[in-house]
Amino acid sequence: MINRRPSRWLRHLRLIAIRLWQLRRVLVLVMLYLVLFGWLFSGDRAGDVRPTELYGMRETPRWREPDRDHWCGTAVNGADLFELCRFAMATSVSVAVVAVSAGIVLALLLTMPLVFDPGENRFAWIERVSGAGVILPGMIVMVILAGGGGGGLRLVIPGLAWLVALMLSPLLCRWFREGEDGFEIVAARVLGLSRREIVIGRVLPSVLRRLPGVFAILVPVAMLAEMSLSFLGFTGDRLSVGVMIARGQAYLIEAPWMAIYPGLFATVVVMAFSLLGWRVSAALRTGPLPPLL
Amino acid sequence: MIRHLFQRLLVALARFLVVGLATLALIEFSFVVMGDSEHHVWSRGAYGAVPQELAPGSLTWEGLIRARLVATARVLTLVIPSVLLIGYSWGMLGARLRRYRLARLLAMPFAAFACVPGFWFAVLVATYSYFHWQRPGFANDLVVERGPDLLAWWHASVVALPAMAGGAAWQIRAVAAVLERETTRPWVGGFFVAGANDEEIFYGRAIPRAASSLASLLDRPVAAIVGGLVVVESAFRYPGLGSLVVESVRLGSYPGILLAALSLAGVVLVATLLRELISSRE
Repeated sequence: MINRRPSRWLRHLRLIAIRLWQLRRVLVLVMLYLVLFGWLFSGDRAGDVRPTELYGMRETPRWREPDRDHWCGTAVNGADLFELCRFAMATSVSVAVVAVSAGIVLALLLTMPLVFDPGENRFAWIERVSGAGVILPGMIVMVILAGGGGGGLRLVIPGLAWLVALMLSPLLCRWFREGEDGFEIVAARVLGLSRREIVIGRVLPSVLRRLPGVFAILVPVAMLAEMSLSFLGFTGDRLSVGVMIARGQAYLIEAPWMAIYPGLFATVVVMAFSLLGWRVSAALRTGPLPPLL
Repeated sequence: MIRHLFQRLLVALARFLVVGLATLALIEFSFVVMGDSEHHVWSRGAYGAVPQELAPGSLTWEGLIRARLVATARVLTLVIPSVLLIGYSWGMLGARLRRYRLARLLAMPFAAFACVPGFWFAVLVATYSYFHWQRPGFANDLVVERGPDLLAWWHASVVALPAMAGGAAWQIRAVAAVLERETTRPWVGGFFVAGANDEEIFYGRAIPRAASSLASLLDRPVAAIVGGLVVVESAFRYPGLGSLVVESVRLGSYPGILLAALSLAGVVLVATLLRELISSRE
């Protein structure tokens, strides 16, 4: 028997396999996430669908009750409500994903420059601003911003991103502070590592590791916020579940499914994203986040 | 003690001023910079009498805010004590039985209900009310003229339910997390070695030690609850401060937006002040 050391490539592959095994729960959840995204974004986009065309009053409405062909019934112009709900939810999910990602990046940009400062009160101004900022509830800020500015995604996405950043920044400060208190950090200091090396090599990875959990928890919250704003009519003439429910109210007596099924669809999708979010957050030990809106 | 109280009151006042200025800046930015309004927040023409659409009777701003505040206070009376009661008691129970992961289980129904869009829930209640009770379902449809106004409490509870769900779910998990963290500290091992049992350690030691952390959770869900009210009140056509914000934004009425937003911010501020006073006593 020849006693041979495994090749470099083999060792690397083994390390990757071990790392993947450690991350197995997160990977399964990411796969589920991708399946959910794929399902929402699959199918015919049906072009540029406008709520005014779908729900506009007609002399001879072409709606149909839910049946085997149309699980959720049809809209006033005869379009399948299930497909419309899927299209609307895909938009809500996109808005939420973009806004939350931008918010997390913004929070990191706000807090990161302060991490390299060794002072005790380096995070004080962020915590003070955030403490005063949360007194005005986020939903009121969004209503004034989106309603006053004429609606549309150009206001909703940056607004939600700022709110996420405002809420997340003190949490990141706390995590950075906790990260610097660990035994290995003390050991690194004793060994003579510079502050930059400690922050980039030790503290930052431990904080970044938790961010996918934050993202997964905040996406359903942002989805609900987007739907609420569209229900109030502050996101422009764009198809969304909120708009579908708001417009469906006009036909509550003749065609109640137009207000009921979009809400049911939204509840199921938000619940699926929330369940995945809780699992991802538990797997990454993110801990409870403060309520956002 | 009195000095500390005055100090906290001054801080609260400063925060309120900052929030007021921030709201004015937000109105200016959204209506004038991003929107197409010609009225700046500092121009005199932007502040007139109450628009007819906001108050069908001839109400002053003061009267309108008072009427709306009473309606919102009714909802908050239902929501905040329920969230605190459920959050703290179930959170403690969940932490006590942490080996069965009871906190997650107890929070689950509330968290699941929080996934239901609040505005859709309000529409559903109105629809059910119309089809099954043969009466208009939205809050602005019927007015009780004689006898006790029990209908107002029914409307308030419909608005309160979706707002309560998210708050209670968060509070249960947060309280349980604080207590679970406390019970994993090294001193617990010392008490075990000294012969103390589970209950003595949990109720006699862990809860008193975690009291200040628990007190710091008092006001955390209030802002989210108040924010949730804005949408649900509008959806259920409930005449509260939340729906006043939305109606004022639609009409472009700056005083309406400012007064309603500041009144709701005042609720959050009072909760924060109470938390700070209780935390400092601990």
